Amino acid sequence: MTNEELDRILSSKDDDIQPSSGLIASVMEGVRSEADMPPPIPFPWKHALPGLAAAGAALVCLLTLLLDQVSHSAFPLPQAADVLAWRTPVIDALGWSLLALALSLFLVKLSMRWAAR
Amino acid sequence: MSAAEDQADVERVLAGDVSAFEKIVRRWQGPLVNLGYRFCRDRGRAEEMAQEAFLRAYRSLGKWRREAAFSTWLFALATNLYCSEIRRIPPNTVSLDDIAEIQDAGAVDGGLLEKDRDRAVRQAVLALPRKYREAMILFYFHDMDIPAAAQSLGLPEGTVKARLSRGRDLLRSKLAKTLGERGSE
Repeated sequence: MTNEELDRILSSKDDDIQPSSGLIASVMEGVRSEADMPPPIPFPWKHALPGLAAAGAALVCLLTLLLDQVSHSAFPLPQAADVLAWRTPVIDALGWSLLALALSLFLVKLSMRWAAR
Repeated sequence: MSAAEDQADVERVLAGDVSAFEKIVRRWQGPLVNLGYRFCRDRGRAEEMAQEAFLRAYRSLGKWRREAAFSTWLFALATNLYCSEIRRIPPNTVSLDDIAEIQDAGAVDGGLLEKDRDRAVRQAVLALPRKYREAMILFYFHDMDIPAAAQSLGLPEGTVKARLSRGRDLLRSKLAKTLGERGSE
């Protein structure tokens, strides 16, 4: 079979079909019910942002306070290596917390985008 | 079909006149149903897919950027939907062995009547691997316009050309075997 024959057969409109008479009505029914639906409720960023900012600030304050307490404690000053050994887990934990926070924000944005579709 | 009419109707829909969408449906129902039909060869399913495509178009009308024609955007949206639907539930394709059976039953001399053969060729397109099938369906749907097919598929023109060439080769060689013809390459 040549390319020309294939082109003739496959580009032919002989087997085209006519849409059924009720198609427009059923599409418009769907469209009207979509139009009548209330718009999706947007995420309340205005209300959530102060809370998120306060939580972030509280976390920073807590960590600063904790580090300050440790450095001014009554115990003899530890060696630099000990301090580093103690601080490393705190810094690690902080890193993980920030990562979790960033991941949560990303997931919230992603779910909002999907919900908006 | 005028691009200006499409644009005017879209503007009216976006301004809140839902009934203007009916004109868009009226104008494009034929092409969208027939595009769906080429993907599945099932009238009922083609209409269902076209209906879903129109609903999606309605939901995302605001995302249509006026750089491309409305029809280009609509076909790309419909193609995307149809390809996903066909991947999700593949159509009942006739295997190339079945085509050989049609051939045996079709005529005493072992040849197919022209009409039957044409139908068998169209069915055989559905049995091609997905990427070749999609390129071939879109190419012939768009009256052998490679840029239009590429836009609908969201692929570079070169990729569509390559898939088309490979798809034709596959189809021709398989049909040559099953229809008992010698490919004249």
